Amino acid sequence: MEKGKDRAKMVDHIVEDEAIITKIEHKSHKIDSLIKQYRPVEALKTALDGSPPKTRDERCKSANWHVVHRALMAIKAVDLMFSNLDPEYYDILMKYLYRGLSTGDRQTCDQCLKIHEKLTQKAGLGCIIRALSDTVNTV
Amino acid sequence: MKPTLAQLVERRTVVGAVILRSLVRIRQGSSVRLYLTCIRNTLEAAMCLQNFPCQEVERHNKPEVEMKTSPELLLNPVVICRNEAEKCLIETSINSLRISLKVKQADELENILTKKFLRFLSMRAEAFEVLRRKPVQGYDISFLITNYHCEEMQKHKLIDFIVQFMEDIDKEISELKLSVNTRGRLVATEFLKQFI
Repeated sequence: MEKGKDRAKMVDHIVEDEAIITKIEHKSHKIDSLIKQYRPVEALKTALDGSPPKTRDERCKSANWHVVHRALMAIKAVDLMFSNLDPEYYDILMKYLYRGLSTGDRQTCDQCLKIHEKLTQKAGLGCIIRALSDTVNTV
Repeated sequence: MKPTLAQLVERRTVVGAVILRSLVRIRQGSSVRLYLTCIRNTLEAAMCLQNFPCQEVERHNKPEVEMKTSPELLLNPVVICRNEAEKCLIETSINSLRISLKVKQADELENILTKKFLRFLSMRAEAFEVLRRKPVQGYDISFLITNYHCEEMQKHKLIDFIVQFMEDIDKEISELKLSVNTRGRLVATEFLKQFI
């Protein structure tokens, strides 16, 4: 009986994960088109929307991270970015910045460090504390 | 006494090396500044420590970041990389904070110099108070800051110390490397003079 319930829950999780991955793929197409139209800030907003997806699956998180990474690297003018970005995106952006900083790739880290400085000036230390202390919704 | 040709060449190469190094440092200046600013901001946010006696054992008070027994007392660890060679790991808990640094080591000589120099410092960890005797696996040097340190010393001064330490380490290692190379060159010149 127990095994049946557990298997049903696992199947549900797998179905959810597949749904999330398809959603991320759709986002990725939209973001590519936005980047081609030289609107990187909107691309970033689309990438950050609906994340973190409520899942513990590593594949979903990496898929979402790839999408956000592409949007982040497309941004050239970091100062102008914050005039267009709404404050509700600051916390989730900070979490993705720390994920970017942990990769170790030189260009990613340079870009993430630039954005991190400006974001801290805009959002304050509270944003960093929320990114550090949120152990439930990690990216 | 007039300097010999050998000494003049020696001085010019040393001066040349110093100028080259300072030029490289000026170009890297802004990326170092961003890296240190990021670490400073993260430390200011993460250094929120309070006294918390051990939950498992009576009358014990342990730095929770070292024990890692209860997940509710730990925050997300954060790795801040500047490039493939340099990174900084910051782990926080309710009563303690651990900072581990990996210093840039360009070649074998810098590798050996860094290891020896940082081992020298780590062995005298009691004089530094916030230094950890052994670095965390994968890093060159570690600091452990507890709530007692925050009570005795000022928080922003601790952060200034750590950022200053990171700046000075690079300078020290390059000076050491320069002096080793200079000494090697002098010794080789003197030794080979007998064969002229």
